Amino acid sequence: MTDKRWLLKWLLGVWLAVVVLGAFFYAPTARGFKGESARIVFFHVPQAWVAVLAFCVNLIASLRFLRTRDPIDDARAASAAGLGLLFSVLATVTGSLFAKVMWGSFWNWDPREVSIAILLLIYAAYFALRQAVPDEERRGSLSAAYAVLAFVTMPFLVFVVPRIYWSLHPDTLLNARGSIDMESRMVQVLVASLVGFTGLFSWLYTLSVRLARIRLRRQQGVEG
Amino acid sequence: MPQADSIFWVAAVAVVIWAGVFFYCLHLDRKVRELEEHE
Repeated sequence: MTDKRWLLKWLLGVWLAVVVLGAFFYAPTARGFKGESARIVFFHVPQAWVAVLAFCVNLIASLRFLRTRDPIDDARAASAAGLGLLFSVLATVTGSLFAKVMWGSFWNWDPREVSIAILLLIYAAYFALRQAVPDEERRGSLSAAYAVLAFVTMPFLVFVVPRIYWSLHPDTLLNARGSIDMESRMVQVLVASLVGFTGLFSWLYTLSVRLARIRLRRQQGVEG
Repeated sequence: MPQADSIFWVAAVAVVIWAGVFFYCLHLDRKVRELEEHE
């Protein structure tokens, strides 16, 4: 591996460490929230963003697999879905912690909480489907077709449902009026965190695909 | 415990968690690279 790639990884390490410190010591306390609870936004929003990004990558890789039937595309789709599921769980956990502080309960059956729970179940079913089909080619085709259908529900559950119904959830970064009601230092830390988490996703995804490629080569070696 | 102290501890725990994740990823990266070189 080139030195440049190692440098990028170390840069990411330092970047996210600075984001953590910035979230606690640089960004001011948000108005209208209990205590320091709003600081979780610097981790919760990027986690939710990375989950959406991962599901988009899952869709692209699934469509590619349906066209090429290349097992590496299936591995790419599975890697992205796994990371999407992981970051959705993290977003749910951080959201629940925020809910406990703000509203007194970890779970309030808020539209946004319910929609993320449904999304988690949909993508958990993707892995249940993969486990249930032993034949690789068939598993790839079925899970790719399922991923396309699953993705159709994602924008509806993440962006539409929470905006239709009344919700306890605070405004999104860009609110319904099309403006950002956030102090500039908070926006700076949030944008830096979004960049850092996107970099982390990219690293984890690349690692997972590289590992899948090695596994596939070994499998082909054994079969050949 | 004063609030300023609490936030310091929360930040310290968050940095330690991130450091753990980061070094684990670096370790995994090195292992994957070794496997790729053996191919």
